[in-house]
Amino acid sequence: MSLSDLVLSIADNKQMLGLRYAEWATRAPSLEADIAAAAMGLDDLGHSRVLYGCLEALGADPRGPERETDPASIRSLPYFDQPWTEWAHFVAANAVLDTAFTVMIEACVGGSVEVLQHRMRKMLMEERYHFLHGRSWLKSGIDAAPLNRAWQEAIEWFGPPDGETAEFHKEGRLSMGPAELRQRLEERLEARAPHAEIDWKAWDPVRRRGRRGAIDEHTFGMLRGLEEKRFAPAATTKST
Amino acid sequence: MTTKYRRVSGDAVEYEVFARKTRVEPLHQVGSVVAPDDDLAMAYARATYDEERWCEMAIVRKDNVISLWAPGEA
Repeated sequence: MSLSDLVLSIADNKQMLGLRYAEWATRAPSLEADIAAAAMGLDDLGHSRVLYGCLEALGADPRGPERETDPASIRSLPYFDQPWTEWAHFVAANAVLDTAFTVMIEACVGGSVEVLQHRMRKMLMEERYHFLHGRSWLKSGIDAAPLNRAWQEAIEWFGPPDGETAEFHKEGRLSMGPAELRQRLEERLEARAPHAEIDWKAWDPVRRRGRRGAIDEHTFGMLRGLEEKRFAPAATTKST
Repeated sequence: MTTKYRRVSGDAVEYEVFARKTRVEPLHQVGSVVAPDDDLAMAYARATYDEERWCEMAIVRKDNVISLWAPGEA
């Protein structure tokens, strides 16, 4: 795995996080929370665009033609495979997963790769408000199940202790390895990650996840522009 | 599903939001948000009023404002 693979994973996860946030823009518990969901969704979709733009500059774009047809080619976490049905799912993702991605971005900005240092720094400023939002809602108390799941997937996403994330850290390309990333996430959330057994042998290093599966067909279709085609006038569809 | 979250009604307080576009102009009120704590109020203020390129934004709890007189009392 290359650094491009890691950046693509951040990009795909931020894209899915942004889409899932946006789905709650009219369903959150208050008007302010609706607006925050929409704004954070736009932020993360914007971040994913910037990150996709870094791939070429890193020397290798791992995206292949399979991304047009195979939902499992999108490198996002299982947490984003299906739309969230409870506000608690939103809060756990906002507090734990969004912050986990931010911590990884900190590691990129603090590392030795110039293109990542420059292009990712601004994201950290915007993410400050995502963090405040997630942490505040988390303090209100949510069900343990989505929270534990978010923690487990965040730790898995950081990678095994002897994997390529640790290697990037040794080489100085990332300022933190898996152990430091986990520690930083715990510090920021002022909480310890719940104990979980991770089967690293079953872990997929490309998608950075332990569970099989893929994003739902509707969301994949939307990502590929298929939903727009479905609603396009017939004449336009024929001419394209 | 979402109505069980009491904090958005009973616990929430109002915050006034102030901002300015340039250093030479004073902060002026651009609106308000309702939130249960300062952190969430900051996140809401930024999300709600970020459409302009403000060089500064600040929030104040409305109940921290000391009123000298109100309309009709001067």
